[in-house]
Amino acid sequence: MSGIQEDDDLVFRKICSLIEPMNEKGVKLTRDTDLIADLEVDSVAVLDMVMDIEDFYDISIPVNTISETKTIGELVDAIHEIKKEQA
Amino acid sequence: MGLFEKFEGTATLYEALKKTSAGRDPFGVSMDEMKGPTRAMVDGKEIVLAGTNNYLGLTYDHEAVEAAKDAVEASGTGTTGSRFANGTYAGHRQLETDLAEFLGFKHCMVFSTGYQANLGAISALVQPPDDVLLIDADCHACIYDGCQLSGAETIRFRHNDPDSLDKRLSRLGSSVKGKLVCFEGMYSMFGDVAPVKELIAVAHKHGAYVLLDEAHSFGVFGDGGRGVCERDGVLDEVDFYTGTFSKSLASIGGFVASNHPELEYLRFSSRPYMFTASPSPANVAAASAALARLKRDDSMRHTLWENAKRIHGAFHQLGYDLAAEASPVIAVKLADREEAFKAWNFLMENGVYVNLAIPPGTPNATSILRLSVSAAHTPDDLDIVVGAYTALAEMLNGSAPAQNLQQ
Repeated sequence: MSGIQEDDDLVFRKICSLIEPMNEKGVKLTRDTDLIADLEVDSVAVLDMVMDIEDFYDISIPVNTISETKTIGELVDAIHEIKKEQA
Repeated sequence: MGLFEKFEGTATLYEALKKTSAGRDPFGVSMDEMKGPTRAMVDGKEIVLAGTNNYLGLTYDHEAVEAAKDAVEASGTGTTGSRFANGTYAGHRQLETDLAEFLGFKHCMVFSTGYQANLGAISALVQPPDDVLLIDADCHACIYDGCQLSGAETIRFRHNDPDSLDKRLSRLGSSVKGKLVCFEGMYSMFGDVAPVKELIAVAHKHGAYVLLDEAHSFGVFGDGGRGVCERDGVLDEVDFYTGTFSKSLASIGGFVASNHPELEYLRFSSRPYMFTASPSPANVAAASAALARLKRDDSMRHTLWENAKRIHGAFHQLGYDLAAEASPVIAVKLADREEAFKAWNFLMENGVYVNLAIPPGTPNATSILRLSVSAAHTPDDLDIVVGAYTALAEMLNGSAPAQNLQQ
């Protein structure tokens, strides 16, 4: 397993652990899970969850990026991108 | 077809919730006849209005009413044009001068609403890709919309948390040119107050500008009613002070005040200023008269705070879960949307109108009943409010597990 793949899994699992409390319907979380459509959480709850990610990784994720992100996989990719930029 | 499907989820939820409020629609109440600043007829019944933002109670102030009448007679019912074209009258200029003088700023611009003041200031001041916005997570929709209209990168910091702002400003790369930090004096939903001094210090340490929205705190906080930043001694450190005429000034319109002479550039670059009609002469005259009253008369503010403390104290006694310390906005937290709809309807049946607020319009997915106190509330009005909330506490305790009422 490459370092990038490992990091990808870690970020995915971190996001899942933050989403789990909002996952009231017990949806199985995959990279394709749509945060708002599948989990039925509101957009503000997603923004608040992203703040936890920001503080955990010490990065800033602009609201603009979050509104372009629908699935968990897209959020993982966005975090990688920002981690590279802000490193 | 395609256009409307996205509303279905919300519409279904809304219909289901209205069943818990006996079919009454909390977001569609019609004040059929106004009976004064704190009373209205709704469905044939007189109701005490306790969700109005009429903090100083000046909507029927004699001088403001007369000034508005005179303005209609003298200048007509509407300006039919924007500030940028034919819509700037002497009254608009005079109100800008009066507000700037009152607040101690050199420049002021009057907009058609408070919403447009924030929308217009933020979207014109900040531009992608070089500028960045940092906003308190609980900022009002007009600040969010201003950010979106600007198109610039927008980063939220944790509500009322200077350290969270500090971290986010520290992370910004060197390519960022302009930074604007936006937050409010008192927040409209919970009535909680920002640590403005600390937030301003953090922003300025990083070379960022500060836009402070005192929409709900103008007329309410500070020895002269100049807002939370006056109370905390940092009024002159605010780069852009925004406010509204539709709360303490009992009219409609908004403004931005600043010591930066460049504020004047917004007159030809702020689209929400340029492409909408200016406030009508009556609105401007009423706001000017209310401002004059606010300047010379502290008594409304003292009465407002006495009323606020009375209600806050009574609700605390009743065991309600209150969102913040005593202020003219008093929010009671309830278990969920269903309970909030039911409680709101119960208060209407007991003669009291308050605002119902539910997620996503509230912080932390909380459902609340938001009450706003007015200086015009009479002891009688307050008795009715406390009586209705006492009965509500009994109803909630009797019918459901009482977690929501435990302190």
